[in-house]
Amino acid sequence: MPKKELKKMKIDEITQYFMNKTTKQNMKLIRAIDHLIIENFEEFEKDLKYVIENKKEEEIKRVFESKIWKSKMMFSKADRVLVFNRINKIRDLGEILARKMLLYRVVFPDEQFKNNIKEILELLKTVFLDLASAVKSIGKDLEHSYEVSQKIKNEHLDLRNKAWELLSNLYNYEMDFISRTFLYLKDLIEGIVFLADEAENFAGYLQFLATKYLIFE
Amino acid sequence: MELTSILVIILIIMGLSLAFSIGANDETLSALVGANITKFKIALIIGGIATGAGMIFLSGGVGKMVGENILGEGIEYTTFMLLSVLISSIIWLIIGSFSGIPLSSTHSTIGSIFGVIIVFSLFQGDVDPTTALNYEKLNSVVISWFLSPLFGFLFTFIFFKIISKFFLSRLKGMNQIEKSEKNFSWLLLIAVVFAEIWVGANSAECIGIFHALCSNGSLTLAEKDFFVVICGIFVFLGIFIAGRYVIKNLASQMTDARPCESFIIQISSSIILMICTLMSLPISHSHVIVFCILGLNAGQKREVDYKGLGKMTIYWVLTFFIAGILGGIIYFGFLSVSLI
Repeated sequence: MPKKELKKMKIDEITQYFMNKTTKQNMKLIRAIDHLIIENFEEFEKDLKYVIENKKEEEIKRVFESKIWKSKMMFSKADRVLVFNRINKIRDLGEILARKMLLYRVVFPDEQFKNNIKEILELLKTVFLDLASAVKSIGKDLEHSYEVSQKIKNEHLDLRNKAWELLSNLYNYEMDFISRTFLYLKDLIEGIVFLADEAENFAGYLQFLATKYLIFE
Repeated sequence: MELTSILVIILIIMGLSLAFSIGANDETLSALVGANITKFKIALIIGGIATGAGMIFLSGGVGKMVGENILGEGIEYTTFMLLSVLISSIIWLIIGSFSGIPLSSTHSTIGSIFGVIIVFSLFQGDVDPTTALNYEKLNSVVISWFLSPLFGFLFTFIFFKIISKFFLSRLKGMNQIEKSEKNFSWLLLIAVVFAEIWVGANSAECIGIFHALCSNGSLTLAEKDFFVVICGIFVFLGIFIAGRYVIKNLASQMTDARPCESFIIQISSSIILMICTLMSLPISHSHVIVFCILGLNAGQKREVDYKGLGKMTIYWVLTFFIAGILGGIIYFGFLSVSLI
């Protein structure tokens, strides 16, 4: 989208646009790990480079900052900024994980491990898609945003349990991996958990927003 | 120059200083500034003009009540009485400020008047303390101090419930909320101007002095009116020159407040203030505002600091008696010196 068009957008529209971009980035990240599982390193690197590329995001941030600075909505200004910053935090964490993953071409230990990672990735995908839906709803339906956020919290719990299980498997393999493989896989699992944790925190914040702004009869 | 003339000049200066300090301590505009509805200087000018206009055109009834009608038949303020009232109020308010206790200048003034008049009737002879004050009027003033916050609470609570049921609870998303708050911003501007007019009109403690000076013959009617206009100008200057600091400080803590909430509080408190002013009853605006905020909190089912509220209520009740005792002692001091 050209900068001119971006400048015409309202604060909520810019936030949605940024969220869509971030969700797309996260989907690419998940797809990159899928490629890694099947050892398609070419596609893996291509997707990760997309995740790291951030020229457009910087432009969106600048436009948002200039818009929010001029905003007259004092009571919601800080919350709008926090929502945007939390999206940015998730984007940053995704980028850090992508950069880490590019450091080495790992081969997964066995099919069981691959299947477990796939399960976790499926959950992460659901978390991100739900988060996008929750953020999208804050403009029009805070109650829906609240409910979806609750769902994210449950999904996050599942993901964490599965990640702990997988981490425990990794530590208890009979064969000793070369340390690079072990470290890489450990960082990968932890990176996924960090992303899910941040999404869960964000969901909690969205619930706070709903309780703060909604007035019930 | 005679001592009485010097005292009258001192009283006029004190009255104008009071007008200035009323403006300097006026926090009504902070809702407007906090919501960033107008530029800061424009808010100060609008607020200052509204308060000044209220004082000039609408303060007659309340001023007359404090400066004349509250006294018993045939009783007039002397310059020493007025000086005692003012000194006592100022001392008690200063003590309150240093102790961090929010006190009402209206309560202090009326309490001091009570003390001074009782001492006057006891020690200057020929005056029965039971008729030295117009107890019917005094009772109605004191009752209004209890009823005005209570009505402020109820009015805000009911007003919020109505707006909430038919409008606010139907807003589902932040876009809708922001759009409606934009409209409430303009309503808040109107409500604040309305509130400022009645704050100026109910500023009994300064206008009362000029009414008292007029009723005891120290000032002519034209001179009194002239000084009321000057008071209006001073209250404007108070807001513009000194009030900006209080307003800026409070406004920075109010950026989170939704314009609709501020509107409900301001309109409720100003209606109470208007009714009391039209009934010539001097009340405390800050007390009404505090209870309006509580009414809103109760409507929103938010927590209320009952401990803090209880403490505040005790000081409100004590103010009348302490200011009364203080006023009596000061007047007794003047009396002793003048008797010597």
